[in-house]
Amino acid sequence: MTGYSFDWSAVVRGLPYLLEGAGLTVLISSVAMVLALILGLALAAISQAPGRLGRRVVAAYVEVFRNTPLLIQIFIVYFGLPQLGLKLSPFLSGLSALVLYAAAYNTEIFRAGLEAVPHGQFEAARSAGLGELQMLRYVIVPQAVRISFPALGNNLVSLVKNSSLVSTIGMVELMFVANDISFNNFRTLEIYGAAAVMYVVIVLALTRLLHAAEGRLLRAPA
Amino acid sequence: MNGHVVVDTLPYLLRGTLWTVTIAVAVIVTGTLGGVVLGLLRFVPWAGPRALVAWAVELVRAVPLLLLLFFIFFGLPALGLKIPTFPAAVLAMSLWMAVNTSEVVRGGIQSIPHGQFEAARSIGLSEIQTMSSVIVPQAVRRMIPPFVGLCTILIKDTSLAAIIGVFELTRAAQETIERTFKSFEIYLTAAAIYFVICFPLTRFAQRAEARLRRP
Repeated sequence: MTGYSFDWSAVVRGLPYLLEGAGLTVLISSVAMVLALILGLALAAISQAPGRLGRRVVAAYVEVFRNTPLLIQIFIVYFGLPQLGLKLSPFLSGLSALVLYAAAYNTEIFRAGLEAVPHGQFEAARSAGLGELQMLRYVIVPQAVRISFPALGNNLVSLVKNSSLVSTIGMVELMFVANDISFNNFRTLEIYGAAAVMYVVIVLALTRLLHAAEGRLLRAPA
Repeated sequence: MNGHVVVDTLPYLLRGTLWTVTIAVAVIVTGTLGGVVLGLLRFVPWAGPRALVAWAVELVRAVPLLLLLFFIFFGLPALGLKIPTFPAAVLAMSLWMAVNTSEVVRGGIQSIPHGQFEAARSIGLSEIQTMSSVIVPQAVRRMIPPFVGLCTILIKDTSLAAIIGVFELTRAAQETIERTFKSFEIYLTAAAIYFVICFPLTRFAQRAEARLRRP
């Protein structure tokens, strides 16, 4: 090992830019997760609806997006779709790929959650005179969300880490910023080290937050 | 859309696939060995090493694989440790696989009811015997579904190796696109190849999990 002299001033100088990148990572992940939750819940509801077609289409979507690499999905949206006349900015390409990928997992989580709600709950809601939509809105979905919460939390944590892949198409977030700085000042070890610390802080804070939320959710009355 | 280009470039993509499988197998073997050791270290009777391993695993797991890869490939040369692309990718992914496998191992062992430990001890088995003939055999069955799930994620994530220039399926697709400019068709074909590899594993994991839930 050669005598490498660490230059932490490179980190200090790059800190504002790195923090901005970390903020963008949190923002992108949050926006993507909100959209992926909505899409996932809608698709899970469709797959529960009567008729086989909806169920099959949703299952195909889930399996295709879960069994192919996110990186390839990002490349298809950013490099492939313009060939069909759909040209999206790096931001929109990255965001839509992240949403579609995370939503596939969310759909599966919600579907399992909906199926885990005891059958008696459906019967009780119907016999109380609730319509299909009211039953879902007031009885089934609240319970399904509670069952799904831990898995959804894990998916959010994965999403934060997976969002680093959009740096490859030029979407600005923490990974992109770290590459940008270290390819300019060659202080790769220090800059990547600093970026790693930021990811650790984000992920650990998020994990603790989700854990606390889960505790409250389980204690709250239905 | 152009179907010819897919047929023409398929042999090259399949050559890339061979390397994807090679990387995945190398990582699964080394990462699993490392993961089993790290996972079992969580149950040693000494609190110090237990806590140290728990912390290290949590830290590494919080870092995106892409950053681990860049840290090893672009960062370590600063310390005089210059690692070529292929071993750098295998090293980064094995590290990732090891920490995640260790969590599967820990979860599997912790899911065994405490009464099993007590029963084994009360019939006179030693600490080691309890683990090797009572706890681990039961835990392994529960580890299989999440472990296979982890392997599927790993196979998909071997695509990241292309970013540092390792030749595998994704890199083969990129090279083909540089020649043909048919990004949509080529990436779609690459995605289909990944799907053919990953989907049976996903199905297997689902079946194994369903089998566990049955009494």
